[in-house]
Amino acid sequence: MTMMKRCEDIRDRIGAWMDGELSRSGAEEVRVHLESCPACCEERRQLEKLQASLRAVLVAGPSNVSFERFWSGVEQRINRKRVWHEDFFGWARDLSTPPQLAWLVPAVIILVLMGVFSLESFFPGSRLAVRRNNFAAVESIDGFGRNVAVLRENETKTTIIWLYQNQEGEDESTGEKTDASPSF
Amino acid sequence: MSLLGKRLTRVLLSSSILCFFAVFAGAAENTSQIVQVKIGAILASNQGDEFDARLAPLEKQLRVMKYRSYRLLKEESQKVQRKGNATFEIPGGRSLVVTPQDSGTKQLALRVHLQQGGKPLIDTTVRLNSGGNFLLGGPPHEGGALVISISATAQ
Repeated sequence: MTMMKRCEDIRDRIGAWMDGELSRSGAEEVRVHLESCPACCEERRQLEKLQASLRAVLVAGPSNVSFERFWSGVEQRINRKRVWHEDFFGWARDLSTPPQLAWLVPAVIILVLMGVFSLESFFPGSRLAVRRNNFAAVESIDGFGRNVAVLRENETKTTIIWLYQNQEGEDESTGEKTDASPSF
Repeated sequence: MSLLGKRLTRVLLSSSILCFFAVFAGAAENTSQIVQVKIGAILASNQGDEFDARLAPLEKQLRVMKYRSYRLLKEESQKVQRKGNATFEIPGGRSLVVTPQDSGTKQLALRVHLQQGGKPLIDTTVRLNSGGNFLLGGPPHEGGALVISISATAQ
């Protein structure tokens, strides 16, 4: 291993060595190297300075903060009885925040669809209602010997049952003549 | 979300779901026994170009037949029980008997029997949506053809 590579390896382990996290042999190896290498020794000094300053901040910091007001505030909020409208507004606010709002989107879509499809049941003939197929379906038909045609026209959804007159062109009951058959 | 909020949400959601199911179940079960049957006897012919203004709602349907003139001869409406008969006198000594058959609220089955002087002309059973109509035509009348619009609405 070259000297530079060795220094890099040692410097990677200086922190662990200072925290006492290395094995006995590993710690001994680092210690011996630091005694003989001024550059790595300088690195160790820098780390020690950094650790010292961090410790000073962490130890001194909390003593400067007064937690009394904070804890009294928390206690006050816990003990305070909330009135119903505060609960209600809190609930409404929670509902209107995005994660809780997720249920609302499919619910509204379902309700709107159900409403539109049921409109015809409650308000027959409503223009907003979804119209079902308006075709009339002929289930059975008997022309008593006469020709009968059933026409279903798509555009107007019209079902027409047409009873043709006899071949002689005359209706047997009345003797009336039609002027023309329809040209559907 | 607070405990009250969760409870309120659950109660609200479950009650709205129940309400909608109840409403839909009610709508589905709402079977009326009364059916209003409405007929219009129309003379369709190629004599003249008259189009009776009273037939405006049916104009598009009637124009399918390509006659030049349409005149409303008679219009009548009757309320009838299911399985009961509604008899209409039709011009030309004809009579039309309409019998609503057993069916749901949204669809109706009508048995329609047209006769003339005691002789049956046609007997048909037609299923249509409540409020819908169909046309029955063909019998010759006054130089044209008689067209009968038959509609039924569950009450």
